[in-house]
Amino acid sequence: MPSRRMPVVDIALRDVPAVAATPPDRKRVLARLRLTNSSFRTLTLLASILVLVILGGVIIALIEGSLPALRQFGFGFLVSERWNPVTENFGALAPIYGTVVTSIIAMMIAVPFGLLIAVFLTELCPPWLRRPIGIAIELLAGIPSIIYGIWGLFVFAPFLQRTLQPALIDLFGPIPVLSTLFAGPPYGIGTLTAGLILAIMVLPFITSISRDVFEAVPPVLKEAAYGLGCTTWEVVRYVVIPFARVGVTGGVMLGLGRALGETMAVTFVIGNAHRISGSLLAPGTTISATIANEFTEALGDLYTSSLVALGLILFVITFFVLAIARYMLMRIERRIG
Amino acid sequence: MTSVDLSNGPKSVPTPIIGTHAGLDSELEEKISVRNVNFYYGDNRALKSISVPLYSQRVTAFIGPSGCGKSTLLRILNRIYDLYPNQRAEGEVLLDGDNILDPAQDLNLLRARVGMVFQKPTPFPMSIYENIAFGIRLYDSLSKSELDGRVESALKRAALWTEVKDKLHANGLSLSGGQQQRLCIARTVAVQPEVILLDEPCSALDPISTAKIEELIEELKTDYAIAIVTHNMQQAARVSDYTAFMYLGELVEFDTTSKMFTSPVDTRTQDYITGRFG
Repeated sequence: MPSRRMPVVDIALRDVPAVAATPPDRKRVLARLRLTNSSFRTLTLLASILVLVILGGVIIALIEGSLPALRQFGFGFLVSERWNPVTENFGALAPIYGTVVTSIIAMMIAVPFGLLIAVFLTELCPPWLRRPIGIAIELLAGIPSIIYGIWGLFVFAPFLQRTLQPALIDLFGPIPVLSTLFAGPPYGIGTLTAGLILAIMVLPFITSISRDVFEAVPPVLKEAAYGLGCTTWEVVRYVVIPFARVGVTGGVMLGLGRALGETMAVTFVIGNAHRISGSLLAPGTTISATIANEFTEALGDLYTSSLVALGLILFVITFFVLAIARYMLMRIERRIG
Repeated sequence: MTSVDLSNGPKSVPTPIIGTHAGLDSELEEKISVRNVNFYYGDNRALKSISVPLYSQRVTAFIGPSGCGKSTLLRILNRIYDLYPNQRAEGEVLLDGDNILDPAQDLNLLRARVGMVFQKPTPFPMSIYENIAFGIRLYDSLSKSELDGRVESALKRAALWTEVKDKLHANGLSLSGGQQQRLCIARTVAVQPEVILLDEPCSALDPISTAKIEELIEELKTDYAIAIVTHNMQQAARVSDYTAFMYLGELVEFDTTSKMFTSPVDTRTQDYITGRFG
């Protein structure tokens, strides 16, 4: 008797008495089926193992490549702001800072906007407008990042330099903490501009995932809320968003992952300055922008190794973001039960 | 006297002259009068000139085979259909004499006055307490203790209090199906409506939960006008005072439940009630 857990096909194939009782040509068919079955299983297994192999290979390569830099600078690599190719003295703090700050700016803008768009599309939008806006958002996601980069450098940054940045400097000038955060002069390019470009880039992710999960809210639940006399705002605030929060969190984390790793567009507009400035208007750099900018001119093992170490740090940051996201989703799911 | 008497037209005096029961029950107050209502899903006409009353302190059951328009009719009474752009109703539905199909009707107010319970339990993704308090807060700003009192009385009203009083802050979804449905009834009651619409409230429940809900309906009718859509003929016979039989978008017959189930006038009603079709 074959074990209970065996797939049905296997039970059929290993049913020896049945094979014995069948004519020879059927035996051949069964043999061929058995071969197909086992090779199919091997193929799926190999494909799955390949993922692990690639992931493992990337991790090993990153660690191995960054060892010289880490050995040289030790823990100081993480907390030092120096980045001097001439004296071969490297520290990762400025790019880490830039990566985190640009991503925070991007999420602070893209999350509320994305949710607003998703609410409009699912709850309020007249049907004839729904498709055009939906398609526009998907197209926004399809624009290659290099195009965001040149648009950001030649159009968006000069525009900000003329309009938003002077306004911010004037507005927050008299306010103690904010005056440092928005201290001039308006360069156009800089951390804030990079954050804004990132916001535009992650917006479609957050919007389309939020829209999908909002649409998955059972209509009868919304009807029940409207049936109590709720306004659209109340239905969205108290029923749709709580119901969809797991999915929305997932979308936000996906957007954050993209913002942390985005390279090309950021490299164009951030200014690529290895320093931590109190002002968001000042040029800065991010991990991926530094790597992209300097790999071709990295002379010497220590320089190259420092860039690989930056890559390792980015890998670890994104890994933790994903892990925290998973953990949060798990907790929310468990609380809902 | 066959089926529904429409001769008095849509704009007549709001007295119940429908069917032969008129006058039997002298203190009847017509809470809602549906008059000559047509309903369309796009171009598809789902209700054909329906006229029917809902009385205060009475339970009116709507029976009929699937797709006959029972639920559609219910969804007109609090204009929940308004959420969907291609659905529209024509005619008049008077709530205390005011036409609720009037475009100027305040929908939030209407839905506060006409509460609805759905086929599947629809607890909101929040705690048991919040599920009830949520609806109350929409209309009244109360102190914590007043709110607690309203929540407790609503849960007692729905015969759920003893089962949940120790876990008011557990998620509403953690309750059993029958409890969830009573939670939804409590939520509807808490808003203090005047009419309660029940759209097959027991179809997803086991017999014991069903019995509890039916008992509850019996209790609630002292305060409200209740309309219930049901596929279960025995249930209609048990809980309702009036029964309306609908078929293919038309109201075939409306009368007291006892008359409908003992001596229906229309042969289609008779066939349906005796189980010959449907």
